[in-house]
Amino acid sequence: VSTDAGPAIDRLKGWLRERKPKLLSDGSALDDPDFDLIENRIVDSLIFLEFVFFLEELSGRQLDTGPEHMASFRTLRAIQRDIFNGSRP
Amino acid sequence: MISTENPITTMLNRIIGMSIDTYYNPYKMFEWPDELPEEQWWMSRELMTVHGTAIEQELTEKQLMAISRWESIHFYSLNVHGIRELLLEVIKRVHTPGFEIESEFFHHFIGEENEHMWFFATFCNKYGGKIYKDKKSKWSIESVEPDIESLLVFARILIFEEIVDYFNLRMGRDESLHPIIRQVNNIHHQDESRHIAFGREIVKQLFAGVRAKHPPERLAEIDDYLSRYLAASIQSLYSPAVYQDAGLPEPYKVRAALIEDPARKTYDAKVLKRTIDFLKDIRIISKGAVLQ
Repeated sequence: VSTDAGPAIDRLKGWLRERKPKLLSDGSALDDPDFDLIENRIVDSLIFLEFVFFLEELSGRQLDTGPEHMASFRTLRAIQRDIFNGSRP
Repeated sequence: MISTENPITTMLNRIIGMSIDTYYNPYKMFEWPDELPEEQWWMSRELMTVHGTAIEQELTEKQLMAISRWESIHFYSLNVHGIRELLLEVIKRVHTPGFEIESEFFHHFIGEENEHMWFFATFCNKYGGKIYKDKKSKWSIESVEPDIESLLVFARILIFEEIVDYFNLRMGRDESLHPIIRQVNNIHHQDESRHIAFGREIVKQLFAGVRAKHPPERLAEIDDYLSRYLAASIQSLYSPAVYQDAGLPEPYKVRAALIEDPARKTYDAKVLKRTIDFLKDIRIISKGAVLQ
């Protein structure tokens, strides 16, 4: 997935679709900004590190993944608010 | 001494005896130099994530030494975090039903792992000024049956210990490394060989129970999970924070290029070979490491 063009959230959607084609086969799940990426197993414990590194590359900063920050990784709305727009570490 | 009624007890008695006979005081045994020279090899060349790659060709010896420094701090940091996770899991199980036979050994295991965590953390803080943060997920995403959970816990511990041991064994013998680096790796290798012997036995035993109880679909899920865990474990050695600390531009692109480099794919397969062979041998996995 290229990280050089388009809004960060669209690049993130592309990254998720590429990695979980079966789970995201209906194509519309990621249109819902409150779609739970964790509960729906789009992001599981084994892909989480790659997911964080991709978000770090897109946002240009290193991210904390302590328990108090976990909610920021759960939905596209939280990612946009806390990671792409926000100042949370 | 544990009774000898169960097949695992012979091995447990042997490794408990070795733990007692070779017991050492880690707080006295290391003579930590005040500092280590920055411009030296901190890690065996062949173990570095840039080794043999196209990117390595473009780097100076000074840059490679900087990568070896931060990559060694990152490797010991991964150990600190991995040990925390395994201690939590083993402490949850010591003297609980199902682990009566193993609990005597768990006391040695917990004590030794606590000491390993101390010397790895000391190395990181003393010579790197930090422990790299643990970026793994902090919530329990998957919930599974208790017997499968225990199997996955001990399989994860085994995979982690065998990967680490591949590094420890080589760095413990590498005379291009500073004596304190060799000593830390060598001591860890000696203790881990007992933990790995135990890990293989308990994984074998737990899987026999799981296989007898669960349908093929569940066993296929375990196969899939562990195959992905093997790949994720190897990929966790490639850290953008390391490349950034070593002064390389675009550390995330460096990481992606290294993971995809054919030389690294060959080497990573070599690191995982004995673990994959064992897991295939007991038929818990059917493929090998499977990338996400």
